[in-house]
Amino acid sequence: MLKAEGIIKKYQIPGRKKDLLEALSGVSIELADNSITAIVGESGSGKSTLARILSYIELPDAGKVTLDNLTVTGVKRKTLQKMRGKVQLVMQDAASSLDPHQNVLQILDEPLHLLLDMGKEDRKKRVEELLDMVNLGGDILNRRPDELSGGQQKRLCVARALATEPQHIIFDESFSGLDVTLRKQILHLLRNLRDELRLSYLIITHDLDIAMYMADTIHVMRFGKIIETVYKPQSFSDFHEPYSNELVKAALSKRQALQ
Amino acid sequence: MIRKILHKPQALLGLAMMLIVFFVVAFAPFIAPHDPSELNVAHALSAPDSEYPLGTDEMGRCVFSRLLYGARSSMSIALPSLIILALVSTVVATVCAYLGGVLDRIFDVVSNIFMAFPPFLVAITLVGLFESKVFSIILSIVIAMWVWNARVVRTYVLREKQKPYVITCRMSGCSELRIIFRHIIPNVLPHLLVIFSTGLSSIIIMISSYAFLGLGLEAGTAEWGAMFVNAKQLIFSQPQLLVYPGLCILFTAGGFNLFGEALRDIYAPREG
Repeated sequence: MLKAEGIIKKYQIPGRKKDLLEALSGVSIELADNSITAIVGESGSGKSTLARILSYIELPDAGKVTLDNLTVTGVKRKTLQKMRGKVQLVMQDAASSLDPHQNVLQILDEPLHLLLDMGKEDRKKRVEELLDMVNLGGDILNRRPDELSGGQQKRLCVARALATEPQHIIFDESFSGLDVTLRKQILHLLRNLRDELRLSYLIITHDLDIAMYMADTIHVMRFGKIIETVYKPQSFSDFHEPYSNELVKAALSKRQALQ
Repeated sequence: MIRKILHKPQALLGLAMMLIVFFVVAFAPFIAPHDPSELNVAHALSAPDSEYPLGTDEMGRCVFSRLLYGARSSMSIALPSLIILALVSTVVATVCAYLGGVLDRIFDVVSNIFMAFPPFLVAITLVGLFESKVFSIILSIVIAMWVWNARVVRTYVLREKQKPYVITCRMSGCSELRIIFRHIIPNVLPHLLVIFSTGLSSIIIMISSYAFLGLGLEAGTAEWGAMFVNAKQLIFSQPQLLVYPGLCILFTAGGFNLFGEALRDIYAPREG
């Protein structure tokens, strides 16, 4: 279980020393094991900040993050390093979130070596298994990220996250910018992986449709706060807040446009 | 990597030029027809003939032999200086810029102080301090020039550390040091190769200006910079004496530059 309680995060606005922008104002969220949660909201609502805090890349100004009863905020760097693999973040732009000078083998080998301390032979086997899990062939082992297609890059990002044997994977706008077919394939893949490996996902998106398709719980976020939470959403009519309804309208008009 | 170099004409040309320079450095005594310091005043400023392929200088020394030996003295100082310079400025600037905070501010102050003095002044002050001439020249070049390179490195690192892949590396369990040496430096290195390879020619010129001030290698040592400076007095009567060492410097710097740039293109094709 990954839990955040009363998270507050402020940023300095460049050029204005005294003004602080409150990106998150007291957000609490719980990600149960083997569940899919979604956070929906417009850009600037604090979704990505929350993703970085939950994956302990950034520290909050107030509040705490706990992973299975262990408080992540406030432990030493070494302890943090050991827990690093448990929560993984998959970012929006697959191309720029992979080191351009590493090849596929090196990208997948690094977490196995650093976090799981596996031997050389085992690592090689595991890399092939990982590629297989995300439906990538072993023939791309020596390619660099810029020699892969957008879909392959995305799959590679998922494989890299899986390499650390995580409990939770956070997808920060990971599905925007993909064409409809590809997105469907990836979402389908993620669902299968979840069932197979008993993972828990947090999907951060501005697209209510994706959230509805994937999640057991949907949080709607605006101005650094969670304004509505819907458990086991069945239809768009489950949303009641005026802002949520605007998101519903946006999703509906997008569907119409697609048809 | 090697295959890519072999397929790129620019890299091959640069490599060939560098190899020629290294060949001359290694085998100067076997190729040179004369001793570079052998005087023949009767033959001073003679035109090229079978004995003196490029003619003689104002002291009657064989210009061709002096150019060949000059490669030795120029490169034996310029190359080590360049390597130390590149190492120092890359490591210092990368660590400071990546870790940021107080460290980066200290770097900022220190580099401002270094930049306040013209490199030449620093070099002149330092060059007399040590007994070994070569060592003091190298040291003074490094101290005088590191900060200018480090500033450029810093800019690249600051840009690089904002990229999302740094977060991914942290997710994969990399420590800060591993991120610096395994991810940031390899990614900025291609850009630095170009800067440092251009630096080679300025180092050769700098060494030559030492000679001009009498601070460099002993007077009369065959060295491109010194030959270049000496020939200045004869620019109207014997312009070719100015052209030869100039071409040598251009050839060497050009070779390193072409190779450096080609390596960058091979290494970081996306940013070109």
